[in-house]
Amino acid sequence: MKKIGCIIALFAIILVGCDKEITLELGDSKPTLVIDGSITDLAGPYFVQLSLSTSINNPTRIVGVNNARVIITDQTGIRDSLQFVSNGLYRTQKIKGVEGGTYDLEVVVDQKKYMASTSMPKKVNLDSLRINTFPFNGEIRYSVIPVYLDPVTLGNSYRFIQKINDTLDPTFHVFNDNLNNGKVNQRPLRGGDLNLKIKPRDNIFVEMQCISGASYLYFNSLDQQSGAGPGGGTAPSNPPSNIVGGALGIFSAHTVQRKTITIR
Amino acid sequence: MCYKIYFFSFFLCLGAHFTPAAAQQSFVVSGSVKDKQTGESLIKAVVRIQELPNAGIISNEYGFYSLSLPKGNYSVVVSQVGYETLVQKIKLDSSQTIHFFLQTKNVLKEVVVESSRKNDNLTKAQMGTETINMAAISKVPVIFGEKDLLKTIQLLPGVKSAGEGNSGFFVRGGGADQNLILLDEAPVYNATHLLGFFSTFNSDAIKDATIIKGNSASQYGGRLSSVLDVKMKEGNNQDYTVNGGIGLISSKVSIEGPLQKNKSSFILSGRRTYADMFLKATEKFKDNILYFYDLNAKANYQINAKNKVYISGYFGRDELGLGQEFGIDWGNKTGTIRWNKIISNKLFLNTSLIYSDYNYNVKLKNGETNFNINSNIKDVNLKQDYTFYANGTNTLRFGFNTILHTITPSTFSGTVINSVSKEGRNGLENAFYLTNNYRATNQLTIDYGMRVSMYTLMGGDVYNIYENGTVVSSIKLNKSSFGKTYINPEPRITTNYRINDETSIKAGYARNVQHLHLLSNSVASSPSDQWIGNSYNIKPEIADQISVGYVTKVFKSNFELTTEAYYKYLQNQIDYKDGAEINTVSDVESVLLYGIGRAYGLEFLLKKKEGRLTGWIGYTLSKTERKIEGINGNNWYNARQDRTHDISVVGIYDLNDRWSISGVFVYNTGDAVTYPTGKYTIQGQTLYQYAARNANRMPAYHRLDFSATYEKNKTKRMHGSWNFSLYNVYGRENAFRISFKDDPNDPTRTQIIRTALFKWVPSVTYQFKF
Repeated sequence: MKKIGCIIALFAIILVGCDKEITLELGDSKPTLVIDGSITDLAGPYFVQLSLSTSINNPTRIVGVNNARVIITDQTGIRDSLQFVSNGLYRTQKIKGVEGGTYDLEVVVDQKKYMASTSMPKKVNLDSLRINTFPFNGEIRYSVIPVYLDPVTLGNSYRFIQKINDTLDPTFHVFNDNLNNGKVNQRPLRGGDLNLKIKPRDNIFVEMQCISGASYLYFNSLDQQSGAGPGGGTAPSNPPSNIVGGALGIFSAHTVQRKTITIR
Repeated sequence: MCYKIYFFSFFLCLGAHFTPAAAQQSFVVSGSVKDKQTGESLIKAVVRIQELPNAGIISNEYGFYSLSLPKGNYSVVVSQVGYETLVQKIKLDSSQTIHFFLQTKNVLKEVVVESSRKNDNLTKAQMGTETINMAAISKVPVIFGEKDLLKTIQLLPGVKSAGEGNSGFFVRGGGADQNLILLDEAPVYNATHLLGFFSTFNSDAIKDATIIKGNSASQYGGRLSSVLDVKMKEGNNQDYTVNGGIGLISSKVSIEGPLQKNKSSFILSGRRTYADMFLKATEKFKDNILYFYDLNAKANYQINAKNKVYISGYFGRDELGLGQEFGIDWGNKTGTIRWNKIISNKLFLNTSLIYSDYNYNVKLKNGETNFNINSNIKDVNLKQDYTFYANGTNTLRFGFNTILHTITPSTFSGTVINSVSKEGRNGLENAFYLTNNYRATNQLTIDYGMRVSMYTLMGGDVYNIYENGTVVSSIKLNKSSFGKTYINPEPRITTNYRINDETSIKAGYARNVQHLHLLSNSVASSPSDQWIGNSYNIKPEIADQISVGYVTKVFKSNFELTTEAYYKYLQNQIDYKDGAEINTVSDVESVLLYGIGRAYGLEFLLKKKEGRLTGWIGYTLSKTERKIEGINGNNWYNARQDRTHDISVVGIYDLNDRWSISGVFVYNTGDAVTYPTGKYTIQGQTLYQYAARNANRMPAYHRLDFSATYEKNKTKRMHGSWNFSLYNVYGRENAFRISFKDDPNDPTRTQIIRTALFKWVPSVTYQFKF
């Protein structure tokens, strides 16, 4: 459905669209703790990045939070106290990410406690990548279809990270099986940004992550808001997070598979 | 139980007015008011008696009137905008039928918006009501040169545009789905074409349009915020005429004429855009499709003096496609059969049988795979509406309305997915109403009435019942069985007190209830938005509106100033959770949120209706808020369409017999939107932090349009006119969208990008008639 919205918006823009950079008076939120943590089925260590949100005009990308106590506990009872690396980055020491594993995160900053819990789904095998071509406005467009067989049980969610010649596609590609439960996926990764067109001879890297329902909701909200503002997208707000205690961000446990393909 | 008592006591109080009137012997004069040249019946013509200033009536939707008068000799005065006032002497010593034929005015003194014919606005109780004169719309500049009813009503106070060039509108803080849009009594579910840039109404086929901003009489119901009642022309029953217009992106033609002279007529009107022809001419866009067409047809037949039948239909479709890959088409079909019966000279009955169908299809194709989405809503609607001209002071209107809704939500099919057949849901909507127009004294008029609306859930799909977001039970109804019934009384009253010939005050209260709701996952309207009826979770939306008004003549009676203030309280408003996929989720009710709303404002309308210069200035000061459980920390927030100031200035100046010029200026506070208040990084990507919802503003919107109309010498048969218009004269780049993104050259910096749609849009239209 998102695609329809995009195409409709695109039509309107084709008419006489005109983009210009402007300046606006923007309010400032109080710096808020941001937790960005992932556990994968690859070999550790895994990392949790703690930072503070900044004003829109602040050029510093990551304002690290360095005085935190970060602990991850898994379903076997292993309690891993993360080691501080630098600029808000913390590293696990002994925990091991496994399919079906459950992980609890506890972060304490200035006596304030934040918690999150997540489970790693079973891996769905990424069989291959294939190229999808279609004519669009007088030229051939390319997109990539990740080929995998969705399991028969309903409720699988996926996230794809796409890099085109090592440039990260900023689109949030998330799929679920609401409509194609138990089927081989034939849905392509949307072309994304118009400035990031896929051309012949491009190398496309795709990382497939089997994610939890909470992660799906988080990234799907971001995707819906990416066309935000009147004319497209939904009214933006902070995406629904699995972190309790008032922090922004997400704590995700997911499987990772990577493949590349060259467009020819 | 409560509403029964309510209704009963209402009848009691109604009976009170009827006792004193019967004392004197009286006779009835009745008949219809028609256009002398074309035989079109004239709606809302005023029939007055010179000798009895208190006696008078307004012709109904079919031109019928009836007046009870004591025996005597009278001068009957019949007036209507754009027509010469007719004075006819009658001798009333028995009840009689008289038809009045009015002559069109020669002088060009057309007024686009006309709510008062002479002092009519001062005497009618109706509040928040404006009637659009279709004949004069052609002179108001509009985008693409296509004269458009919906864009003209957006220039009235209290009515706001849904966006740049858009036909969607918001009335007094209501949503775009809270307007009841009727075309010959048939509800039109999606009143826009081509992504909102055109309305579904072909202005050549329209006789009359009235917008009522929330204080509608009780024969109307089903939407919270307004009624837009559009009546199609009946067709000339005297002679054949052809009307047409040729524009840069669309053309239209209509033919009308008698089926039997003086007795029956027809009108056939069609329109098609050809924007895609331009696309075809370009190598890049040649595979794209972008057009719409619509067809209006209507015929009427006078069976005998007491019976008349009307058949009308509308068929419109939009097609939009990108090569072989993507296609979306949507459209409305409506059909209406109406039967007017004059039961007696005091009792008029109209029976309508209406069918309407709105659907959309989306086709996506990716190489070898197909994917389709379909949705539709079908209505079968039966109405009976009686008007009883009880005596000189009371006119009663009563009737019922039964609608069977069949709503099929988005269903998906295709090679790549499991075709989940979501069953449609049926709903039965019933309403009974009674309203009385009571002319208490020469100065005081009271319209009061009650509508009782009922909505019964019917079988089809499973109904889940949710508590705090989880299913607690499920109800499966068989196809033809009934579930829960919602019953809502809707009391309404408006009063008008005429202080003197130039000044009157008005006050009113109305409750409106809405049983069908539009779910939209985009800020702007999209053809794929879906309708849903009440359920066990979704309760009828309710709006209570109180309003007061003051109407007076100013500047030596050359101008009319209307001021109204309103306060509206909305209940059971619907929104949905963040990240919800309202189209693919298995039960959309699992992601809905509910809340309340409030809207209040002050509207001013200063009109000049006569002379070479006509037009109006409208100003609205208003506030619109929502409070939805689960959004914005359960606090009040601005609705997107909350625009504090809204100004429209419309001027039409007749230079001479051939040339007239006109201009429109609009200014409004930008929409309430949410800008980020901070940023952060997650997995290498910049995300934005948000605080309160809709606490920010888009830049203010303003625009000036200009047009000039040249009318060629009128020969006997042929009449032609040219219209040249320029939309957005000073090329203001109004923000359509504001987006935030990383600067591609410096990712640590955030760019704020404003997208504007139209800078200048010139257009030329040739309009002809023969």
